[in-house]
Amino acid sequence: MSEAPDLSESEAFAAEHALGVLNARERGDAEARMAREPAFAAEVEAWRERLAPMYAEVAAVSPTHELWRRIERSLPANDNAATTGRVRFWRNSAMGGFGLAAASLAAIAVILAQPPRIVTEVREVRPQGELISASLTATSGRAVPLFVAAYDPDRQAVIVTSLLPEGSNPQKVQELWLIAGKENPKPLGFLEPGRSKIIPVQTDMAGKIAAGAALAVSIEEPGGSKDPNGPQGPVVGVGELAKPV
Amino acid sequence: MAAAATTSDILTPLMTRVAGGDREALRQLYDATSAKLFGVCLRILSDREESEDVLQDVYVTIWRRADRFDATRASVTTWLSTIARNRAIDRLRARGPLAYAEPVDELEIPDGADSAETLLSAADDRNRLHGCLSELDERTAKVIRTAFFEGVTYEALAQRMDAPLGTVKSWIRRGLAKLKGCLQS
Repeated sequence: MSEAPDLSESEAFAAEHALGVLNARERGDAEARMAREPAFAAEVEAWRERLAPMYAEVAAVSPTHELWRRIERSLPANDNAATTGRVRFWRNSAMGGFGLAAASLAAIAVILAQPPRIVTEVREVRPQGELISASLTATSGRAVPLFVAAYDPDRQAVIVTSLLPEGSNPQKVQELWLIAGKENPKPLGFLEPGRSKIIPVQTDMAGKIAAGAALAVSIEEPGGSKDPNGPQGPVVGVGELAKPV
Repeated sequence: MAAAATTSDILTPLMTRVAGGDREALRQLYDATSAKLFGVCLRILSDREESEDVLQDVYVTIWRRADRFDATRASVTTWLSTIARNRAIDRLRARGPLAYAEPVDELEIPDGADSAETLLSAADDRNRLHGCLSELDERTAKVIRTAFFEGVTYEALAQRMDAPLGTVKSWIRRGLAKLKGCLQS
């Protein structure tokens, strides 16, 4: 037992994700990697299976009798199989992975007249939640949108486009933050100048993404802000999330 | 969820039907698994009402995501339990920093190892994992259990134990590597 070889970096990360010791940002990274790399996803699944026997320690307890009725009432009206093909068509084909976000942000997209580039694969989505979006404008001077973002509750991901010129300021990174209520800003991930990105959001964070919360972008040293309370570098764009009109 | 093979024989076709939008199949899946998943939520949250809220959310999630279940990659019970655990941990984390306030001394899970011994039945996967966990040094085993049932991050663990982040990390990674080696042997 003491002679066990070290896990590869990739497997260790998969095991940590399965165990649940990763923080919000790392968890988002792990989810994104699972979506991108089937081999990594398989490693996470294998670790979940390895650890699953721990559930056997848990005694089964019957929930209240009423619960099934509550669940039944809260099921979405549309059955999975009956999902309207039309919505799905628009989501998946019209403008690729960026489809719906771009559609709901049409005004901004038209002004910019620059089709966003897709850098992340399209994942199948179920149109059940309502999209909310934000246009992030400069914190000083004219209200020029520098980033556009939408949160898709079905994919549990923020779809965000940086409108800064591609390749600008390569020594720094653009970090996306969620500002919800009175809490400190929470890091969501990194953007790339001039590109669109789909950033998965972990569930407890997703609960905070609602109309009225804000997204912000700061310019940070590579690796992002080291300050657990929020950005270290200057905040260059901020915008409030709102339901599409 | 005893007798994994037979359980999964029953549950896997149910999952396929749930993915196809069959509410009756969800009802049957609920009947077969809700007590176990409720136990998982309750174990993590220690609050009946909150656990029921989470459990409701869990089955709605299962309903919506059943089509993503891949029987070649995961067993139904693990897939369902993972959703329940993650949702419960999300709820726990959402309680805020107080949820992590316990000092190091109380890091152990009160009903952990002992109840495991009494609850576990014949020689199967559970006992193997349990055996392998008990071969780790006591602290590492405890931390792995704590992480599993409380979703405690490296940062929170380091804080609780007043140890450097890197130390805690290499310690858990070594523990996981040993665990894997033990389970394979």
